[in-house]
Amino acid sequence: MANEIGMVVAGGALTRFGRRKDGSSFRDWARQAFAAALRDAGLQRRDIDALIVASESDFLTLQLNPASLLADELGLFGIRVMRAEGGGASGQVAVQAGAALVSSGQARRVAVLGLEPAAAHLSGADVAALYSLSFDAWTDGMTGIDSTSIYAMSALAFMRRTDATVSDFARVAVRNRQNARHNPNAHLPLDIAPEDVAASTMIAAPYRRLDCSPLSDGAACVILSQPGNLPGTGKGRARLVGMGSANDRVRLAERADPGTFAAKRLAAQQAYSHAGITPAQIELAEVYDSYSGAQLQALEALGLADDVVAAERRGVFDATGTVPTNLSGGLLGQGAPVGATGVAQIVSCAHQLEGRYAGLGPRITPRFALADTHGGIATLCAVTILGGVE
Amino acid sequence: MRLSIALDYTLPEGGMAPYFDALRAGVALASRCKGCGRISFPPRLVCAECGAEAHDWARLSGRARVVLRTDALAAAFALARFEGADGTTTVALGNPEARGETGQLMAPNGPRPGLWLRLNERETDHA
Repeated sequence: MANEIGMVVAGGALTRFGRRKDGSSFRDWARQAFAAALRDAGLQRRDIDALIVASESDFLTLQLNPASLLADELGLFGIRVMRAEGGGASGQVAVQAGAALVSSGQARRVAVLGLEPAAAHLSGADVAALYSLSFDAWTDGMTGIDSTSIYAMSALAFMRRTDATVSDFARVAVRNRQNARHNPNAHLPLDIAPEDVAASTMIAAPYRRLDCSPLSDGAACVILSQPGNLPGTGKGRARLVGMGSANDRVRLAERADPGTFAAKRLAAQQAYSHAGITPAQIELAEVYDSYSGAQLQALEALGLADDVVAAERRGVFDATGTVPTNLSGGLLGQGAPVGATGVAQIVSCAHQLEGRYAGLGPRITPRFALADTHGGIATLCAVTILGGVE
Repeated sequence: MRLSIALDYTLPEGGMAPYFDALRAGVALASRCKGCGRISFPPRLVCAECGAEAHDWARLSGRARVVLRTDALAAAFALARFEGADGTTTVALGNPEARGETGQLMAPNGPRPGLWLRLNERETDHA
């Protein structure tokens, strides 16, 4: 029996993810995602008594103190406002902070708004240079190493320990893009095949261009509340049932096995324990596939398969499998506007559990779904488990 | 609107200054934990194994063996095990055309105090 912490995702929405060259700004996306989440929850602006903003970097928004600005932009005043940050985990760090505010009675209805303008308004090289500071900027960063090279070395260690091959990685890269073709908000809904991955430019061996998630623009918003504080007492809404978070050595080279996402394993164990369930009860997952191989490394750490490579080959993580994974397309297909990523995962999982997801659905409506993010290279990990409608 | 910002940082190196000073001279300076004796390179000012805050500095030979290597578009990087250090270190390869598995720490290429390894050409030059 699942633990009952008495919290639901009252509503949620995201903007289209992609390289926004339509003249819209992150302030527009924020207003759009927030208004849609409010509508989805059947709430008014005045019902919101806390706002938590997830945004990775002021270098991207070019706005210091973005939480104050965005609250003002959304027309929210006289309420508790803060920003939560944990690199690529920022969205879920913010969701977990929002849940803590509700649990502790400091807020009744919290809006969690994640966003990042990471694609259209800076050059790709400038964004890559900023992202290369996501590790230890003084040691790793000073070598000039980029994210792809760090992930590549972790993937090589994973391949050395398991029998994973670049074909397994390519299958993930293809499947997530194919899944994204059903998602109206996806950045890369690509009709590609493994040969396309193999023919794409080598970025850092073993990773080719199509093994890498894109730089994306976009925003996502969820509203968290205890059901009693919602219209219709939150009937029909997915429940937030388990949360975990843990960190690892920031320098990949210091880890006992650079191919293992050890902190993610700890974060997941916390979340399962908090929810009072086992990994075998997870029937849908949105995992942090910043790179194709990282999806397999994540699934392994999350305990969603005993032998992740064999499970991948058996189709366990396909839409028709027992643990459908990244049906949204994940970061590879839906896109990766950093602060929005973790929030969008919560929206996807909630809507899947509620049986009203706009994109690709699983064979059966799941009872439990898991959302997984991390910052750095599984350095700051946050895992959230949602339960179906009761 | 268009906006261009140039940021010119001067970062004090604080407790890591001895490491950076040595690195700029091509010398590998590690920390040796006074609690458990672990030798970390790059140094750790708080030991991640035992939590001790006291350490000595230990000069390493700078010789290293590549454990994992990735060749990127315009550079190559590796996790390398430095002689005398516990654990491995992320390095940029100074001569990526070389295929040797051993090498020597070199002074950084350019103003950034990065960890660079010059690979030996021949496999007889063992670290």
